[in-house]
Amino acid sequence: MKIKLLKSMLLLGAMLSFGLIQAQSVSGTVIDNNGIPLPGANVIVQGTTNGAQTDFDGNYSLNNVASDAILVISYIGYDTQEIPVNGQSTINVTLQEGNVLNEVVVIGYGTTTVKDATGSVTAVSSEDFNGGNIASPEQLIQGKSAGVNIQQTSGEPGAGISINIRGSNSVRANNNPLFVVDGVPLSGDSTAPSGDSGIGGTAVRNPLNFINPNDIASISILKDASATAIYGSRGANGVVIITTKTGRTGSKAGTFEFSTNLSIATPAEEYDLLEKDQFLSAVTLFGGNASSVDYGANTNWQDFITRTTASTNNNLSYKMNYGDGNIRATFGYSNQFGVVEKSDLERITGRINARHRFLDGDLNVGLSATVSRVNDQSAPLSASAGFRGDILGASYAANPTWPTDPDFTDGSAQILPANLLAYSDNRTKTNRFLVNGFAEYKFTDELTGKINLGYDTSDGENVSVLSADLLNFTGISGTGFGVYNTLDRESSLLEATLNYKKDFENSKLDILAGYSFQDFESSGRNAAGRGFTTTNLGFMARDLRNSVNNAANSITGSYQQFYYGTNTADLIVNRLFSPMGVIAGDTSALDFDRSVNAISADTFDSTDELQSFFGRVNYSIAGKYLFTGTVRADGSSRFGPDNAYSVFPSGAFAWQMGEEDFIGENVSTLKLRLSAGITGNQSGLGYGNFVARQRFSGIGIGNDGVINPNGLQIVATDVPDLKWESTLNLNVGVDFGFNNDRLNGSLDVYQNTTTDVLLRTPPAAPAVDPFQFGNVDAKILNQGIEFALGYDWVQSDDVTFTTSFNIAYNENEVQDFASSINTGEINGQGLSGAFAQRFEAGYSLYSYYMAEFAGLDSSGQPTYVDQNGDGVGDVFTDKVFVGEDALPDITTGLALNLSVKNWDFGAFFSGQFGFSIYNNTRNGFFTSGSITNARNVTTDLISSGEAAGTSADVSTRYLEKGDFVRFQNMNIGYNVPLSGEGAFKTMRLSVTGQNLFLITDYSGLDPEVTVATGDLGSGVPTRGIDWAAFPNPRTITIGINASF
Amino acid sequence: MKKNQIKLYFTCLLMVAGLVSCTDLEIEESDSIISEGFQGLADPSSTVNQLYNRLNGQYGDQGNLFALSEVTTDAAIVPTRGTDWGDNGQWSSLHQHLWTPEHVFVINVWNDWNANQLIASQVLDARSNPSSVNIGEASFIRALSMWVILDNYGQVPFRDTLLPSSSLPEVLTGEAAVAFIIADLDTAISNLPNIAAGSGAANGRAGKAAARYLKAKVLLNKHVYLGTSPDSGDMNAVVSLVDEISNEGYALQSGYFNIFRDTADNETIWSLAAGVGNRIFNGLHYNSTSLGGGGWNGFATLSEYYDLFEGDPNFNRVELDETPLDMQEERRGGVPSAGLPFTGRPGTTDLNGFEAGSNVGNGFLVNQQYALDGTPLQDRAGAPLTFKRDFKDGTGANNIINNDETTGIRVMKYAPRFGEFLSHEIFFRYADAHLMKAEALMRGGGDPTTLVNTLRVIRGAAPILGVVTESDVLAERGRELFAEIWRRNDLIRFGQYTRDWEFKAAGSIGNDKYKLFPIPSSQLLANPALVQNPGY
Repeated sequence: MKIKLLKSMLLLGAMLSFGLIQAQSVSGTVIDNNGIPLPGANVIVQGTTNGAQTDFDGNYSLNNVASDAILVISYIGYDTQEIPVNGQSTINVTLQEGNVLNEVVVIGYGTTTVKDATGSVTAVSSEDFNGGNIASPEQLIQGKSAGVNIQQTSGEPGAGISINIRGSNSVRANNNPLFVVDGVPLSGDSTAPSGDSGIGGTAVRNPLNFINPNDIASISILKDASATAIYGSRGANGVVIITTKTGRTGSKAGTFEFSTNLSIATPAEEYDLLEKDQFLSAVTLFGGNASSVDYGANTNWQDFITRTTASTNNNLSYKMNYGDGNIRATFGYSNQFGVVEKSDLERITGRINARHRFLDGDLNVGLSATVSRVNDQSAPLSASAGFRGDILGASYAANPTWPTDPDFTDGSAQILPANLLAYSDNRTKTNRFLVNGFAEYKFTDELTGKINLGYDTSDGENVSVLSADLLNFTGISGTGFGVYNTLDRESSLLEATLNYKKDFENSKLDILAGYSFQDFESSGRNAAGRGFTTTNLGFMARDLRNSVNNAANSITGSYQQFYYGTNTADLIVNRLFSPMGVIAGDTSALDFDRSVNAISADTFDSTDELQSFFGRVNYSIAGKYLFTGTVRADGSSRFGPDNAYSVFPSGAFAWQMGEEDFIGENVSTLKLRLSAGITGNQSGLGYGNFVARQRFSGIGIGNDGVINPNGLQIVATDVPDLKWESTLNLNVGVDFGFNNDRLNGSLDVYQNTTTDVLLRTPPAAPAVDPFQFGNVDAKILNQGIEFALGYDWVQSDDVTFTTSFNIAYNENEVQDFASSINTGEINGQGLSGAFAQRFEAGYSLYSYYMAEFAGLDSSGQPTYVDQNGDGVGDVFTDKVFVGEDALPDITTGLALNLSVKNWDFGAFFSGQFGFSIYNNTRNGFFTSGSITNARNVTTDLISSGEAAGTSADVSTRYLEKGDFVRFQNMNIGYNVPLSGEGAFKTMRLSVTGQNLFLITDYSGLDPEVTVATGDLGSGVPTRGIDWAAFPNPRTITIGINASF
Repeated sequence: MKKNQIKLYFTCLLMVAGLVSCTDLEIEESDSIISEGFQGLADPSSTVNQLYNRLNGQYGDQGNLFALSEVTTDAAIVPTRGTDWGDNGQWSSLHQHLWTPEHVFVINVWNDWNANQLIASQVLDARSNPSSVNIGEASFIRALSMWVILDNYGQVPFRDTLLPSSSLPEVLTGEAAVAFIIADLDTAISNLPNIAAGSGAANGRAGKAAARYLKAKVLLNKHVYLGTSPDSGDMNAVVSLVDEISNEGYALQSGYFNIFRDTADNETIWSLAAGVGNRIFNGLHYNSTSLGGGGWNGFATLSEYYDLFEGDPNFNRVELDETPLDMQEERRGGVPSAGLPFTGRPGTTDLNGFEAGSNVGNGFLVNQQYALDGTPLQDRAGAPLTFKRDFKDGTGANNIINNDETTGIRVMKYAPRFGEFLSHEIFFRYADAHLMKAEALMRGGGDPTTLVNTLRVIRGAAPILGVVTESDVLAERGRELFAEIWRRNDLIRFGQYTRDWEFKAAGSIGNDKYKLFPIPSSQLLANPALVQNPGY
């Protein structure tokens, strides 16, 4: 009965909308200002969803067009035009290229134009992307948008990223924005398993590694609550929407496009370390016995560990537009080599994007699928390496008289770089499959329904082995050690939306209502083995995998863990969910093939769910007054039933003042935007923190292969009150354009206030875990100003020259927090337990807290400022906030684009100001204490006046300003003029340079750096600490791009 | 297909999609056993195993409880050597008595040992259905953990597992805290099995003797926690508890350094499967031995502590058969002039015909050190590796910072030749019980001379002539129990903890504030029932 009613209503609606207005057909051709047909342009009857796309010849036809209707013709990268039908049946349109403000922008669950947007949105389309050797999508837009700070946390291929939109709103590991790929919100977690063998681990991988940057058509960045609130709980850190290329611009016959490039990368900077003779005389100078530390060779260890690499990236794509639909398929292969030995990333991707229109365009169906395989190799690198450093740190400290023979040892306990490099291996393989399909149906011209289904699955495997030949590693030397970890992720998405668009006399209404469900499963196994029969790294990896897998296969029934050691006669199995309940220490025969002395394995399997109901209303009056209201109710399985749901509303108003009569003609655009809203956050919180959970605790394999029986333990204490963290966002913005938008720009002022901050803090003892997630009584305030300005200097037929500039100022402060948390761990010799930052009310996040260095005294000993008034400047007891923090106050970008006939030139500079870097590398390695112990140092130490063997504790002595300007990108392109008669339709040649130069006073390699040195347990992420960071490369790329 | 039909289907699809996928957002039990609040442990026996694993890590660590108990006394010092061992001041502030509520070991010990208490309570919760042995072991470990907190912080937060996790723990002090611990120990004594002396690995689990030992320890110290003078009833109880331990066969045994091997002996009341590596390497020089990647060159002892022992103040050498050469008593050990020829005894390894690590020696390492082949060792700068009595900086002044690699006498209780990664450390030893009995007798008005001298004779030291005094008992405990984490506890009980020793900060001498560690600041916020200890 209900359905019958609904049916009647729908019919009624349809009759009302079809019947009353005289309808006609319209057809025509859409061309660009060069007269070239534009396939795939959108032609829509204003205020309706009645629309069509132009075919490969630029033709379109529309039925049921009211005689007084207005056609809206849009195409990405071109000015949108509005043309009254006025009874015409043929309307030909010439679109003008490039007015930014009329560009179509993808926003959450729909599109708008920059002109109609009420929120703060930046869209970057493919022609504005950064060029060169681009490993992952976010590099395409680095520096392109004001207030978007994208940091490559290291120069390592495939390493994780840090993206802060408008400062840092949360203080947990995952502070990145939400990524949405073709409507599928990603989980944001890395799909590659970690592979920490204790010496070097796989750094956190970039979760976007699986996307081929070449497949991306545009990236939208949603910055304020008006734009992000539609993503509710997941929008607090901003939203980045990635739209992939479709076959819309293809021809009927199909077009192949091929691109290939070759990138040559070298380390951009290196340390000025002592060479052999300098080193030996320095040892003597600092009181050592040079002859006892001279091993004869003359090795440049920095050169030994770094390299110049040649990487390739190849893409073949096919696109076709057959009128009722289109298809695009791509195949990509890239192999990127890091500038540190044994670090590379190989990626194979395939992607299909298909669209088809049924029923005269009333039913639109699309399917996208990406399949990718990423093979990583990692050098033994570790962000939290101890005093000996990781392979990089050890190379800086290595005695230059050591030979590069991997079996050489000087008998000391240092890490021998040649030895560590030769006898370690760390490889990760990750497969990922992301598919999503949608069906969109036009019930009436006003009402559209859409279902979007997504499925994202990945499986990853890491094997990291260290052979018995490795020297100076307790429990590994003479034994061999390895870890073998797997990680499977699976996420399903279901979204259903209804969209109603209606035009009234001089107003427009656009209503969206929707439902979304997404789950995220994460499962896998972490295994380790000690005691190998071979020292061949490949065989070790094979033996470890076989031993672990054979052990797993020999077990019947479900289990959490299994292990065997040199002290066990059986395979010991710990079961949580057997039919008999928990079984600790169940035994199973050791009758499978195994070649590793001791094995431990621990499995995990958790699923999180999100469910949401959302709606948005856009209402505009006379094209001048734009209103947006959004509400989203989000539920998460990470909170208990009482707190699972939270409602996140937002409202925005925009006023197109430029359209008002009192504004002069030379002002082409003037728009005022106001918005306020609340968004939520639960990322980084993790599974099941609100209930009590018990499982078997981790298994340790002793250095002698002995495994002590482990036991069941409470691993999470219930925190029933755990609830959403929320951020109140206020934004005021102005968009302006003068002289037909030749000069254009925007200015935004915002304030974000995060409350109920989810943070790991110490619960009242006794507690099982010294840190526990809770909503702490604290506020994190981010406020700032963003300014963007573009100017078209020259616009002629043959020459165009444009510049665009953006700059943003952000201020961060922690408020109302009663306690304080020490964070920003510092590593190195004599620096155990040392830290450099403190989280405390009244100060910015990542504020530096340490002793103030007061220079060296006459005997070369460091002195410090007395802060506590006891008359003695003590490095440990006279710590203060030194007025510096690691978050840049100002971030800026400048792009210059020149095209002359077939040539184009682009240059892009980025800069960050108002932040400091703690040079942990210098503190940990380049001290007189190092040279006294015959560890290498930089040349400047010799003349520093520092006495032999002075202590080097954390102080402002190693804190440096990080301000920099980087010539990030320059490219020269040439479009080969082709007649179009030959095999090739278009051909483009290009040369791109990345990271060409860096202007900074920072004495380390690169101030744009963050090494996760540790957090002393608090979970507060690290920022601005340079601990032997992976060197950033300087890259020159030559590329060819052809279609045929 | 008619349009309307499609519309209908699509509408239905939309609705069905919405309804079918609606979820109650409940998390599933795939990864762990889930309960709303604590509802009991599924397998308490395995949780007891886990408690032992925790104790192994907590006791074996060179930092945390070991550092709070030894480095805060005259027995241990970790000077800064160049850039080494600055470590945010965590070592120097302990030895100098300058620690603050932020000290990382102060925070860690608080967290770790309180967590032990809670886990033990979870085992003891009736909903966990613990066995009698589970009850015995968990009661013992809870008593131990609460006693460590009481002894170091003067107040013990107790969490009742029957209350919601959000409820605040009550805080026990003085009489109430001691009564709680003693009650747990009485439960332990009645539920734990008798574990015979000399059982070897079996002495790695707590038996009645371990619970009695701990009860004696708590009663001996009780007056400190109550701020009173010793109660004669308590002292009598200590004596009878030690006698009961003795009746189980636990006894003094000759061959001092062999007690610290993993072989069976009658002195070990309770040992842990804690790795001895930290105890060995924390003091050894980088070049002392190649075992385990060499030493870490940190920990040393003050010469005044070394001088408690009989023997030459500047030399402490032994023959290759370990016969003392410098008039020292057995417990001071000594440095051999070369490694011992390989004997092939269990737990040892052959290094080119020498017993690996046997060149290091036992006990107190002073003056020139030798390689396995008898070559005098050098430090990293090429100078002779001679461990010096004094701590001098670059200018020649006595200083706790800017030392070179060779200052300080090193302490070696677990000799590396018995396996540098042996998982066997003694926590409770009969010799301690024996001296506790002597002390209890003394504090009860009796004469401890015979008991103290019995021990001294077994250790090859001259008997003390005349009546053994209080300071004799303390000194004897210092000699017998060096590096066994009792020094702080002893010095406090004997009223010596606030006295001056080398490098103690002037303002901290005689300052009673340092008799207790501060409560970590974040804990004062988390639980208002905790009150910061006076002076912090």
